[in-house]
Amino acid sequence: MKIGKLMTSLIAAAVILTFGAANAADWKPSGPVNLQIGFGAGGETDTLGRVIASVMKEQTGWDVIAENKPGGGGVAMFSGISKAPADGLVIGLGVNMPIMINLVLRGDKLPFDLDSFDYLATVARAQLAIIAKKDAPFDDIKGLVAHSKANGGTAVAFDAKPQELILRAIDKQESAGLKLVSTKSSAEMLQFVLGGQVMASFSAGTHIPYVEKGDLKVLASANDGRHNYAPDTLSLKEQGYNLFVDPYFYFAGPAGLPDDAKAALVAALDSAIASEKVKTVVANALATEVDNLGSDGTKKMLVDGIGGVKVLFGK
Amino acid sequence: MDRLLNRSSGLFFIAFGIFLYFVVIPYDTESVDYGWVRPQTVPNAMAWIIIIAGLAQLIRPTGSVSADIAKMSRAAMHLLIVAGGVLAISQFGFRLVSPLLALAIMLTVGERRPVWLALGVIGIPVLIWFVVAVLLGRPLP
Amino acid sequence: MVDFNVVLAGLTDAFQLTNLLFVLAGVVLGQFVGAVPGIGPVMAMAIAIPFTFVLDPLPAIGFLVGVNKGGLVGGAVPAVLINTPGTPDAAATALDGHPLAKQGKPVKATKMALYASVTGDTFSDLVLVTVSAPLAIVALKMGPVEVFALMIFAFSIIAGLVGNSLSKGIIAAALGLLCATVGLDPEHSTPRLYFGWFELYDGLPLASVAIGMLAISEILRRLASTNGGMKSAIEIPVAQNPEDMRVRWVEYWSCRYTMLRGAVIGTILGALPGIGSTAAAFMSYASAKQTSDDPQSFGKGNLHGIAAAESANSAVVGANLIPLLTLGIPGSVGAALIISAFMIHGIQPGPLLFEQQGRLVYGLFGAMIMANFINLFVGQVGLRFWILVVRAPESVIFSSALLLCIVGVSMATGGLFGVSVMLIFAGVGYLMTAFGYSVVIFIIAFFLGPRFEISLSQTLVLLDGDVAALVNYPIAIVLLLLAIVATWWLGFRAAARQANKQPA
Repeated sequence: MKIGKLMTSLIAAAVILTFGAANAADWKPSGPVNLQIGFGAGGETDTLGRVIASVMKEQTGWDVIAENKPGGGGVAMFSGISKAPADGLVIGLGVNMPIMINLVLRGDKLPFDLDSFDYLATVARAQLAIIAKKDAPFDDIKGLVAHSKANGGTAVAFDAKPQELILRAIDKQESAGLKLVSTKSSAEMLQFVLGGQVMASFSAGTHIPYVEKGDLKVLASANDGRHNYAPDTLSLKEQGYNLFVDPYFYFAGPAGLPDDAKAALVAALDSAIASEKVKTVVANALATEVDNLGSDGTKKMLVDGIGGVKVLFGK
Repeated sequence: MDRLLNRSSGLFFIAFGIFLYFVVIPYDTESVDYGWVRPQTVPNAMAWIIIIAGLAQLIRPTGSVSADIAKMSRAAMHLLIVAGGVLAISQFGFRLVSPLLALAIMLTVGERRPVWLALGVIGIPVLIWFVVAVLLGRPLP
Repeated sequence: MVDFNVVLAGLTDAFQLTNLLFVLAGVVLGQFVGAVPGIGPVMAMAIAIPFTFVLDPLPAIGFLVGVNKGGLVGGAVPAVLINTPGTPDAAATALDGHPLAKQGKPVKATKMALYASVTGDTFSDLVLVTVSAPLAIVALKMGPVEVFALMIFAFSIIAGLVGNSLSKGIIAAALGLLCATVGLDPEHSTPRLYFGWFELYDGLPLASVAIGMLAISEILRRLASTNGGMKSAIEIPVAQNPEDMRVRWVEYWSCRYTMLRGAVIGTILGALPGIGSTAAAFMSYASAKQTSDDPQSFGKGNLHGIAAAESANSAVVGANLIPLLTLGIPGSVGAALIISAFMIHGIQPGPLLFEQQGRLVYGLFGAMIMANFINLFVGQVGLRFWILVVRAPESVIFSSALLLCIVGVSMATGGLFGVSVMLIFAGVGYLMTAFGYSVVIFIIAFFLGPRFEISLSQTLVLLDGDVAALVNYPIAIVLLLLAIVATWWLGFRAAARQANKQPA
């Protein structure tokens, strides 16, 4: 899987270098490039978007303006993008999960589908873990389930729909009697775990310094694969639950971009994402490495992802 | 007069609450079959509270009212002007529309002195444009 | 424990000229942008962040903290001078600040706001510098059940502001909570009451509702009663009594308990992520009013009212950094932006921050304290400037304010959709005020609504819906008892006052 992904990005990069470069050099935006961020100010996506905009501006000399367009985890922003003129002056940064979930659950009500966009790049894949306090009397999901059965229900926190679905699926599979506590952010989940109000929760990176310090431990990776900072911790799949989510941060523009404009944007994003500055921010904000799947890889990730989400929702 | 207006605002909220409870909330919330706080729980509770408090207001009107028809229609006119201005901004952009909007507002409140008109109609929009678009590098609507 | 040399090195860094200059620049920018109707401190920080990319970490974060602190002081200015608060916490300041300004004492009113703001801010900064680590551990013990009980307690205090019609107050609060339910529901994440507008998925945009209801509706009211546009936006007597131009030490000192209470409320609520400055400002204001010997004078230009609101909402900002620096948990959007600045500068916030970046953290503490002094001095100059500005005719002031609100809300919410929402709520706010329904109560309920609903959900899950299980949560029980006592006491006081009035 990892190798496959690496290959796609290598191929994508090679394609850009060989074919893209010539065309890309010819295209210049006719005005400021509007980099829309599908979330409000303050938060991982906002941080990533602003840094990438400033690096792009530095590297290409284009006037790149980052702008927040919050609403529905990016649905509002991508609704706007899908209707924007395909001139390369508007691109959007969003996260795949909310988009895919809304396409699966309420696709008929959305003004766009996957074909409404030209896909440009991914920035990184968030590493989603299930964590607990270091002194918790279990080390994996089976242990958590056993603890819950023995104590008449254990509280576990989540902050997004897919996480809730994963917990419900585990609960159903094991009849564990988990108490699912809904929260609004990973910060809140972390706070509840540290404060002892819940025994376990999801976390997408904020927990790593605590793991290093020895306050927290990781019960499982909720991704399709293990995490780089905890190579010995098994994924949910490896622990016997056929469940995973792979949240990607990705860029897209309106469908039908002119070839030269698309190539130039793909190249500009690729070199910005590969810069030291963006790497540092990704490491700090998401505790992971940059992972650009390229234009075709991004589209494939979304198409495949929709299938995975359908499974998660039992559709 | 105030009593009558107070009673009618109570009546309005009773109708509003009933409309919420029977029409809006069922139409615009999704049903789920588990959990403690369902999507409808809090909106329905609020609808009932509004109905009951509206009933109390209808029976025993309290509080003051300062409804002045002349002033309210002037406020409504200004709100319409601004709404028209925002609609125009969505079509023609802030740079073009903002001086006209400022002019309309200033004229309707009776400002006729050319210097102040110039400041409000030209000076302020240029200042906003300079600060937002030039200094901060943000797009104007 | 951080080495003393590190502390010293950090504080020395804060006093370097470049760092001080950036803090100064931040404060000036923050006060200016905060005072412009429609923008406000959070907006100012979001705008400022890109400018800090090229700086070193300490000047960058010092600059942002300066913007944040300056924005708080600036935010009180339009609230006091023209009664158009851009944020709900400034609405608490306007309750007494604007009446005082209308009496021809705008300098006095804004100065009191400045002094109280800096006092509250300094108090919470000192708490942060000295006891943040133990306080953060206490704050962690406040789980959803305790937070829910705390919110009930806060509501019971704020209920003292309902005024002369209980049924109208209840309707205003219910409408606020109802509007807060628009968007994804907290327990199941299903969209509700959004009428097909995906922009409403995250709820009604806060800036649109706050500015529409508080600022635009007031502008509409003022425009409707203007004739000729010749009047200044605020009348200041030409030969003003010098006593009305300043806050005497005696006056400041007489507010010490009010400010202390405000600062303590602000610090406690600020240290608990997610409740925010609105609750703090109004809790402080309501308790100042309730404990006053002369509650009738509140809302008519009482200095204590200004002191209570400003000390509390400013204290929240310093205290928000307690969970941020000790645990990496942001308690507000402003704090989340500071975290974002840390990350951009290659610093990972979290439990190891003090160990790994001790010098930077103490540098930041030094910068914060300096920012408070700078706030005080810049504020003295800035207030005069703004008072000069509002002497312009109403026609210019209000038409410019309208344009600024349109631009500000469109920047804050990402487009004209937010502006349309703002206009709708301006109309609603105007009508509510005309018919005697409190806009302020609506706004408090609207801002606390989301946290209230999710805390209710979390509490019911943790208790399994069994109220008897509350015995495991002693702090929550104490808070609920306090809420009952407060309600009873308020009702009792009101009844007593009523009884006193009858014979007269």
